[in-house]
Amino acid sequence: MSLKYESQIREPLVYGNKNYHQVTEDIVRPIEAKPTRLWYIGFFISVSLLLFGVYSVYREVVYGVGEWNLNKTVGWGWDITNFVWWVGIGHAGTLISAILLLFRQGWRTGVNRAAEAMTIFAVMCAGQFPIFHMGRVWMAFFVMPYPNTRGPLWVNFNSPLLWDVFAISTYFTVSLLFWYSGLLPDFATVRDRAKTKLRKCLYGIASFGWTGSTKHWQRHEALSLVLAGLSTPLVLSVHTIVSFDFATSVIPGWHTTIFPPYFVAGAIFSGFAMVQTLMVVVRKVFGLQDYVTIGHIEAMNKVIVLTGSIVGIAYLTELFMAYYSQSKYEGYAFFYSRANLFSPYGWSYYGMMACNVLIPQIFWSRKLRRSLFVTFFMSILVNVGMWFERFVIIVTSIYRDYLPSSWSVYYSPSIWEIGFYLGTFGLFFTCFFLFAKYFPTIAIAEIKHVLKTSGESYKNDMSEVENESTEAFAHKYAH
Amino acid sequence: MEKKYWQSFGELNNTESYQQSSKNEFKEDLPFDAEKGLLDAKTPRRDFLKYLGFTTAAAAVAASCEVPVKKAIPFANQPEELVPGVANYYATTYVQDGDAISVVAKVRDGRPIKLEGNELSPITKGGTSARVQASVLDLYDGARLRFPTIDGKESTFDAIDNAITSSLAGAGNIVLLSSTINSPSSLDVIQKFLAKYPGSKHVTYDAVSNAGILLANEISFGKKAIPSYRFDHAKTIVSIGADFLATWISPVEFARQYAKGKKINDANPEMSKHIHFESVASLTGSNADDRYLHRPSETGAIVVALLSAIKGETISGIADAKLKDGITKAAKALTDKKGEALVVCGSNDVNIQVVVNAINEILLANGKTIDWNTTNNARKGIDADFAQLVDDMNAGTVGALIVLDANPVYTWYDSEKLTSGLNKVKVKISFGSKADETTQKCQYVIPNHHFLESWGDAEAKSGYYSFIQPTIYPLFKTRQWQDSLLKWSGATTDYLAQLKSFWSSKLTGVNGWDKALQDGVYSTSSDILGTAVYNAASLSAAIANIQPAKTGIELQLYQKIAIGAGQGAANPWLQEMPDPVTRTTWDNYLIVSPAMAKSLLKIDLANSGQADSYEVHPEKKVVAININGKTIELPALIIPGTHAETVGIAIGYGRDKKLGKTVVDVNDKSIGANVYPFAALINGTVCYDISKVELKLTDKKYPVALTQTHNLLNTSQGKRTEVVKELTFAEYKANTKVVLEEREKELAPFGGLANFKEEGSIYKPFDKPGIKWGMSIDLNACNGCGACVVACNAENNIPVVGKPEVLRFHDMHWMRIDRYYTGDAENPTVIFQPMLCQHCDNAPCENVCPVAATNHSSEGLNQMTYNRCIGTRYCANNCPYKVRRFNWADYTGSDSFQNNQDILNNTIHYMNEDLTRMVLNPDVTVRSRGVIEKCSFCVQRLQDGKLKAKKEGRPLKTGQNEEWDLKVACQQSCPSEAIVFGNVNDKESSISKARSDSNRLFYSLEFLHVLPNVNYLAKVRNSAAEA
Repeated sequence: MSLKYESQIREPLVYGNKNYHQVTEDIVRPIEAKPTRLWYIGFFISVSLLLFGVYSVYREVVYGVGEWNLNKTVGWGWDITNFVWWVGIGHAGTLISAILLLFRQGWRTGVNRAAEAMTIFAVMCAGQFPIFHMGRVWMAFFVMPYPNTRGPLWVNFNSPLLWDVFAISTYFTVSLLFWYSGLLPDFATVRDRAKTKLRKCLYGIASFGWTGSTKHWQRHEALSLVLAGLSTPLVLSVHTIVSFDFATSVIPGWHTTIFPPYFVAGAIFSGFAMVQTLMVVVRKVFGLQDYVTIGHIEAMNKVIVLTGSIVGIAYLTELFMAYYSQSKYEGYAFFYSRANLFSPYGWSYYGMMACNVLIPQIFWSRKLRRSLFVTFFMSILVNVGMWFERFVIIVTSIYRDYLPSSWSVYYSPSIWEIGFYLGTFGLFFTCFFLFAKYFPTIAIAEIKHVLKTSGESYKNDMSEVENESTEAFAHKYAH
Repeated sequence: MEKKYWQSFGELNNTESYQQSSKNEFKEDLPFDAEKGLLDAKTPRRDFLKYLGFTTAAAAVAASCEVPVKKAIPFANQPEELVPGVANYYATTYVQDGDAISVVAKVRDGRPIKLEGNELSPITKGGTSARVQASVLDLYDGARLRFPTIDGKESTFDAIDNAITSSLAGAGNIVLLSSTINSPSSLDVIQKFLAKYPGSKHVTYDAVSNAGILLANEISFGKKAIPSYRFDHAKTIVSIGADFLATWISPVEFARQYAKGKKINDANPEMSKHIHFESVASLTGSNADDRYLHRPSETGAIVVALLSAIKGETISGIADAKLKDGITKAAKALTDKKGEALVVCGSNDVNIQVVVNAINEILLANGKTIDWNTTNNARKGIDADFAQLVDDMNAGTVGALIVLDANPVYTWYDSEKLTSGLNKVKVKISFGSKADETTQKCQYVIPNHHFLESWGDAEAKSGYYSFIQPTIYPLFKTRQWQDSLLKWSGATTDYLAQLKSFWSSKLTGVNGWDKALQDGVYSTSSDILGTAVYNAASLSAAIANIQPAKTGIELQLYQKIAIGAGQGAANPWLQEMPDPVTRTTWDNYLIVSPAMAKSLLKIDLANSGQADSYEVHPEKKVVAININGKTIELPALIIPGTHAETVGIAIGYGRDKKLGKTVVDVNDKSIGANVYPFAALINGTVCYDISKVELKLTDKKYPVALTQTHNLLNTSQGKRTEVVKELTFAEYKANTKVVLEEREKELAPFGGLANFKEEGSIYKPFDKPGIKWGMSIDLNACNGCGACVVACNAENNIPVVGKPEVLRFHDMHWMRIDRYYTGDAENPTVIFQPMLCQHCDNAPCENVCPVAATNHSSEGLNQMTYNRCIGTRYCANNCPYKVRRFNWADYTGSDSFQNNQDILNNTIHYMNEDLTRMVLNPDVTVRSRGVIEKCSFCVQRLQDGKLKAKKEGRPLKTGQNEEWDLKVACQQSCPSEAIVFGNVNDKESSISKARSDSNRLFYSLEFLHVLPNVNYLAKVRNSAAEA
């Protein structure tokens, strides 16, 4: 019996017989080359969307929230739906970086950089909504607890909206630090390869004087672990707190204790879907198929089918509780307003069920899990479904609450409401395009770290090991 | 030598160094050493930063604090009796056509801003209506005529007087056309004028007359008058189409009387019974204990059948079994209470009213529930008189026409004939205060004062006088019409002098007059009821002349409580007040029954999908209505309580654009359609019931601004009895504790009624010492009229947002009257529930605000801090009662963003004109864009009342022995006294008594443990079904 170095089960994390130099070359190439035509087109569209969003927000700030179609009964609509949606998307990055780092999941290295970037941009987009949904956004600083001349007048620490302020700002700060500290060695690589003065100077500043000394590496590793430790609870806490916005209220359909885990699962679900959408495109456009492999895609699809099913169980639990509680108000929200195709917003509930629970079940099939086309299509569907979920929770609960007299007319968004949403897409993709062009989209240092153990190239030199007898190998490597 | 005190040796010896240092004691050097020249100087870092900081801040402050200058001109000499910030109150009288309601005008800084009912009035006891409340806004109407005109050109009073007196002199027959005038001194002025011009006469014309009753009474009693109906003395009330709580004769008075019979106490449960027959759902019909539906043309048959039934004869001529059953039951209920029964009928047909008189005679109503000692002067117009005038004008025998408070060009059914007649009249003079349809046709226009600028008196009922005094100097070059008539009749004194002498002679001199003016009311009448001699001679002729019922679809024209015959059409408060029956604002529409909706509109309300779709989309299907070749198109609303083959349309819409910005929509087209041309003159009276109506569904849709879309408490998951509670009188009599037991059951899982407060929450309840405000609303007394809604608008500067905004569900009312249906889908029972901020002690809105902008006062108020609010709307979402309102746009012009009102609609612009803004209450903050607002329990009034008690050094009085330091606006305006407000911690207060006295007490959504401070008393219905 001879030894086989290559695992029969685990695929290599990096394809192609790469050495360290090639890795650097592959990843830094897009930064050093001129952007492609496709990049320009995409960037132009993103900036246009962003500008439209800016105009939409301008109208809302100057003319009032009446520019949107919200009303006396439906106080939150697309604004908070989009907020929760974006925050949800912003969950995958930190999960991949932090939790998978702590769990020593090597495959995270291929996607963590882009996923973290996505997290940061998504949280930036999410943040726009709670800020600009305010009637008097110029007074938004009132939510900051600081000694002031107004009494001093403090914020209301009982309010879940205030908890949001802390949760999201903390999450954003930690995610940004984590992402940036990971970027330092890679920026230094780009700096060291720079052929123009400007690039050398800018990347020099960005890399904070990284020299690659052992001391730097040691501190870097320690920092990564500390930040990972800090981020881990945040992954769970942020969406838990966002769910409190609803769970602590008295409105049937919002007042639900199941929300925290249900929201967190949903957030991871949608976050991974967004990573898929982006990575399927990025790996193709920048020729990074060797680093973001089909194995990565498959791993993430597994997470999607898992979290999608968790979310599905949550949906069914809600329905069961609505029945079991025998509360007519709860029952109406769930069985009439939601799980009823003929009610005004029935379509959104069934859209959510289909996109989030039923369709992801196709990922039980390995073949479909490994299909790029299916993955891309599914990732879009999942995010549509998750948008529906937030819409269902927010709008179908409040548009018909306790007093039938105040039940709302049909709420659908105005052009400026849609514009704001499109604007955040613009912001997101503008940032992402800039990121893809100017930042190493894959963590070079970390890829190099796993190349030794999990790269395809490494197994080439293993014939010597494979020729040894089991006993000799065991003896040799026992200590 | 002077003693010298010294503090240091330096001072004693006056050394040089001491001199130097004392000179420099407060000297502070420049923060740098300037010896080496400024540029080379060194500055200590601290100082540098300090000065840098200061100068930057100072520059920033100086640069950014430019505030637009607004000029406020102070009084050079403060007028007597005018203290800035303190309101003056003047008793006066609201007059509109024949309606006269005693009010007290609140005047702040010289401008009237709010009308309160005059509690000294024996008729209304402080009650008002929505129209009374809204009338103060008409004073500041920008569309009012501002000067006299001849042929549309501005003129002076002298010039116009000369022109008119010369043209009147040779004009021939002069006719003074007015709506009902019930002012004795004015009638005196008219007599003087008529005496001066021989051959002249006075014609009274009411837009919607009661000629049928007047003429019938002439036949039956020999008196062309309307008696005083005493609903408070009636134990059984049967109304056949008389909307007496909303528009019929004297609704404010009737509402009060009616509520008296409906208020019940647990010790001695007794209440009146009201049976209503109607064709199109009305406010009164919605309040009835039992309602039966019939065709409009069946009215005659019903009164005849009722007469037979009362006599004990068999009923004939009624095909509908339900209706027949209703008549039998009504007859039984009436005969059971002979002497305490009253039948009223809204028909304008003389024959029908003669039969009604016969019925009332048999029921011994004469002198008991119908008082002939005091007659009602609200309507005196006889349609035939006006029809005669129109004929005369067409014949060319009218030389001059003087129009006063009448607008026949709009309200007369045959406007074309009238217009052609008018063209033949040489001299046409109008006293119209606005360029209404008739005034536009007159060459001389002398705009009349608003009643708040006028002197005068009114005799709403014979012997009951109410006085009018000006509360503001006339805003424009207008003149009271009495002065004009006096001038033209050559009198040397003006109207005020005449009025004074008129009353000084009747009262005890000038002092008596002053006292009467101060009180605002004076009555010579005692409350002894009188009879009239009944003459049955013409009864059989009347029965024979009654028109037989017709077939096919019929149309009934009706008046809305707010808009009336069109008088309220230009008033934004009234237009935006949701109609109590349809919950609709800003339009008229075709009312159809659910049955007709199924056949005509293809909407089946029994199908939840179709019902939802109909409810959630404001765009309603448009129906073409064709009558005798005249076609109009109106959106159709499905209103249960309407006869299956009858449709209804409100009059008062489709007004001329010159009436103001509020009568046109965003496309500058008048809102609604004018349906007066559909009416007809039958047997000398105008009839508003039309047969041979063709309806055709068009494929158009038209948005209707509804403020309530869903009307049922029943859901597929059960009836929401926790929202509002109602029961039948039989149930209540059997067990007065039904409501208590129901509450006990609801709260059983949370500690039961006794321990709910403590055990319903994991937190301990707070002590509530001192004052604790509370409100109790008796749903049995409330009839849903909406006076409180408009009173609240006026008191609290609530923005009017216009139809485009109401369509988007952006209405801002702090108080609304919810309306729910239960029972039969075609003819449901209706319950009205006034809904306002419940001021919950455990308020869900308070804990969710991130900036604590809404919080709880120590007196139990849930209060809004507008300048702290950042507008997250979380509180509104979390309010189970949905009473919080958000300022979606810059409705009030109080925003700092320029020109951001440009995108808003006409109505908002109208409300923001400088003139209109004079109506704003300076005690209440005008809310800016982006903040939430809601009912404050009129906190400004509470503060005022507390201050009053404090100044007098005594405890606050909220109803102890009927003494009040304060009343909140809705409570004050309520004609039914359904709302009680006060200090709950005071066991003697009215609110404490209201709560402790009634087992009907409940809190809406009590099980939520939000602990509201507003309670309701359950509605009890004296229904035949279960009785």
